[in-house]
Amino acid sequence: MALLAAVALTTLLANGATRLRGVALAFLAVSLAANAIALSLTTLPQIAVLVSAGLVATTILYVAARDGDYGEDPGWRLWAATLIAAIATPAAFTSFRTITGEAPDLPLLGADSGNVIVQVAAFWLLSSGTAILVTARTAVRTSLGALLMVTGVQLLIRLAPGPQLAFTIGVAWLEVFIALTGAFLIVNERAVRE
Amino acid sequence: MSLPLTAPIALLAAMALVCFPVRKQVLLAAVLSLISLAAAAAMLLLAADGARTEVAGLTLHMTPLARLAGAALLGILAVLVADVWLDEPAYNFFPIALGVAAAVVAVLLLTDPLATYAVLLVALLLPVGSFTFQIHRNRSVDAAVRHFAFVALGGTIGLAALALAASLPRDQPQTTFVLLVVILYVAFALKLAVIPFHTHAALLARETPATALALYFGVLAPTTVIAFTEILTGSGLLPAIVQLGRVQQLLLGMGALSAVGGALLATGAPDPRRLVVYSVISGLGMALVGIGTFSGPGIVGGIAVALATGASAAQQLLAAGTLERRAAGGPVRAAAAPLAAAAFVAGGVGLIGAPPLVGFPGRFFVELIAYSFAEWLGVALVTATGLLLLAQLRMALSLFADGLPSWRPERRPVAGALGMLIFAALLAGGVAPDAFLRPIATFAEEFLRALRPL
Repeated sequence: MALLAAVALTTLLANGATRLRGVALAFLAVSLAANAIALSLTTLPQIAVLVSAGLVATTILYVAARDGDYGEDPGWRLWAATLIAAIATPAAFTSFRTITGEAPDLPLLGADSGNVIVQVAAFWLLSSGTAILVTARTAVRTSLGALLMVTGVQLLIRLAPGPQLAFTIGVAWLEVFIALTGAFLIVNERAVRE
Repeated sequence: MSLPLTAPIALLAAMALVCFPVRKQVLLAAVLSLISLAAAAAMLLLAADGARTEVAGLTLHMTPLARLAGAALLGILAVLVADVWLDEPAYNFFPIALGVAAAVVAVLLLTDPLATYAVLLVALLLPVGSFTFQIHRNRSVDAAVRHFAFVALGGTIGLAALALAASLPRDQPQTTFVLLVVILYVAFALKLAVIPFHTHAALLARETPATALALYFGVLAPTTVIAFTEILTGSGLLPAIVQLGRVQQLLLGMGALSAVGGALLATGAPDPRRLVVYSVISGLGMALVGIGTFSGPGIVGGIAVALATGASAAQQLLAAGTLERRAAGGPVRAAAAPLAAAAFVAGGVGLIGAPPLVGFPGRFFVELIAYSFAEWLGVALVTATGLLLLAQLRMALSLFADGLPSWRPERRPVAGALGMLIFAALLAGGVAPDAFLRPIATFAEEFLRALRPL
């Protein structure tokens, strides 16, 4: 539960940041917290790949900012995105949660046996990312929304059966690729404005 | 000794990396790109049916559909590379085209739905690099950002839906599966720009280079349709879908809306590019109706329509790009480039699916099966085809409004010649439709088996 709170708070930080470098650092915190939440489902090589992808994506966005001032002020969009995520997360959880008669055990510290926290964190990241993407005005918040969503997908994929290391490498590549595409657009957008 | 199925993907990806640093030497980059595309196509054509390769727990499987679609899409990419090299130099295009080619081949060969979807997402993001062009003079960056947003949104929610579908036990309430299928469908609709998720397509059509548009609507849109059917087949959702009439009605309704809506928008299109883009949206709607019927002829027709639409769209977009450049800001007229104008009109014939071109059997199958499902569905699709015919006629009349001073081809008739090459291929496919339709029919059998497992 404590890590779920960390994911929520770091997402809010990233969502509220007005500077791209702040967004990049807050995203790194989201990525680390999300990986920590799913630690019990993850092998060491997977963790190495995912943490590396988070670091690379953060570095790409940090470098794309070129200085500490560039960014997008979310304004009212911060509250809209938070509200949408707060409504959509429980709705998604109740719609897609595996139906069992048992009440899940949710410890304050440590992993839960039924992966409830992993699913809630994934739905929170997906709904926050969707709200940010839909309300974004520039490539800065568009990239943030996409990266948050792919972080949520990384959590859900860990619950799916199949070759987990291959999936992890694929989604890590996707995260880096989204960061690269976002950075490319951010640099071009800035060139047009200036 | 046969090559592993990873060979064409590795070759194309490696050559994309090689082409990136030398991309400003247009001749070298173009020749390397064309050789790589030809070599990859040859590898696909020579690979044995049913060949399998395992990589890190993922399986690549050669099927007749993968061979047909791979060869066709790599062929269209080669035509686009040749056009960029000879007619419209844009050095970023070469590594992007090779990257797209690698991703397209991977999408066609991979069997795991999650892996297929992730690679498709990368493929759809790659053209962003070719969309931005002369950024201070147009809104191509805005168009690229919007495309990025639509693809990222559709891509990630689709991937999440697939991951959930794989992880949930089968004893879920029906509403869970309905929701997952609806989310997956919306995810693909966002990526295909079908109505009502088409708003970014209009901006793309106005602001981005014609070759980049052809890369998206000529190569990636058909790939996405094929990936949709392959992912549905492998996701395990099909048996749940077939029990829910509402889901099928939704798929058919959305497809018909896009088919008719795209055709209506095409009739009012103010320029050749938007005509092509709206015609493609209409064609994709028809393809989705075919797939949504969950019947053999519908699936064969849907995939055939998607592939034929992609080829004709690439032909028309290359011709439209040349005609616009020769018009230099004035009205687009055939007199500036008669062969390109002829290729544009011929491409229109292909987009309508008129006989004897290869697009005809696909449209015929889908319209026939649509009538057998519901009269309104058949009427909607025939209306869409009629509207497309009107739209193409209107643009053709506008192109030839001033007549032609002579029938001599323009200087450097690259788009015209390449367009005629595509037309010849579509004609050959129409004359011998069995070679084109049989591989798709083999896949349709697999789809139907997944729909009703024993």
